[in-house]
Amino acid sequence: MSPEPTVPARSARAREFRRILAEMLKIDRVRGGLVVAADGLVIAASLPRGIAVEPMAALAASLGRELEVGADRLKRTPFQAALFSADNGTVFLGSSPVGFVVVLGDREVNVGLVQWALRKALATLEGAWGTPAHLPASPEEM
Amino acid sequence: MGFPRLLSRIWDAIASFTRPPNAATLFRRADLYRQEGRFEEAAELVAQGLRLAPNNGVGHLLSAYLHLAFRQIGPAKSEFQSVLQVDPYHPRALLGLAKIALEERDLAACRPFLDKALQYYPDFPEARALQEMVAGWATTVAAPGQQPAYAGPPIHVEKLKPPAGGREFVLTQADGTLVFSQHGDKDAEDLAAHVTQVYRIASATLQRAGLGALRRGIVQAATETSFFRSNDRLILALSFPQDVKIGFGLLETDKLWTNSLRELGMRA
Repeated sequence: MSPEPTVPARSARAREFRRILAEMLKIDRVRGGLVVAADGLVIAASLPRGIAVEPMAALAASLGRELEVGADRLKRTPFQAALFSADNGTVFLGSSPVGFVVVLGDREVNVGLVQWALRKALATLEGAWGTPAHLPASPEEM
Repeated sequence: MGFPRLLSRIWDAIASFTRPPNAATLFRRADLYRQEGRFEEAAELVAQGLRLAPNNGVGHLLSAYLHLAFRQIGPAKSEFQSVLQVDPYHPRALLGLAKIALEERDLAACRPFLDKALQYYPDFPEARALQEMVAGWATTVAAPGQQPAYAGPPIHVEKLKPPAGGREFVLTQADGTLVFSQHGDKDAEDLAAHVTQVYRIASATLQRAGLGALRRGIVQAATETSFFRSNDRLILALSFPQDVKIGFGLLETDKLWTNSLRELGMRA
């Protein structure tokens, strides 16, 4: 038994999260993604069969928080985006006021394209919460 | 339907609109807002609800979540503790405190919270995932000044010179032992602790996604871009100014990685 079931989000803002995620999922070789709050709450998710949402969200939120907290401890500027690659694919992570946008790509994924799309998604989220972030016009400018 | 009954129903309907909502209603609405990412509105409703019902566990749990969402760790911790005063085995409050302990790199505090949460709710996927992750960590990342000493082959510092523009170069073992750093002692220990923690959590995330072991990482911030390289035993991190070309950063990190492995007598 899971102690507390999650309820699907309904508002316009929730629709915006799902739209952002849907855009990321259109990129070739992207296998899935999720939007997770800093407390680990799953706001939107689409993951391949076989990958459970809650554990993935808990780990991704912990990773995002370590990047935030570590930067703060080291007196660095806050992280904006990160990627971590393994032999079979890459996890992309973007930081936003609402939490973290996570994208999973397979080993053939176009890393530059995902990074650019992620920046675009983060700029959209920034815009919904405050000042829009600067966004390169194309992946090549990154 | 008689006129009095109709009048009564109309009166009830009007009253339901004008009567202030009770705490349970406020918390239910707040939780929906929270799940939609509307944290500010949710926080306002939770505050209203807690004014009506100051000892309500659900209210304190929501308050804790919202503090975490706003990255307010001290208040979040205190709210989770309030929940545990009402219900000492509340799994979500225990998980929340475990996550905070993880952020504070206090593994000794983190593990018991996860164990307790899973004691009564063994099928609690988030807690299980974190428990499995920390179970694989041989030791906690040591506090500053208590780092285990590197006991490998001697390192020729001149062969591990970072490239032009490269800074905060650090080499650590997977258990957090600092092998080499460009920095002074205190900064090096902090950096090594962070690099190790990122390596550990990123590795667990990649494994959970079925992608394999961590090999490379790039972390971009407003003023710098950091590159990671790792195998199962060694982690390298190197930072450049933010405007570094990613290709250049990867290339230089690879060169330093190859030199480091050679110096330590390791295979790629």
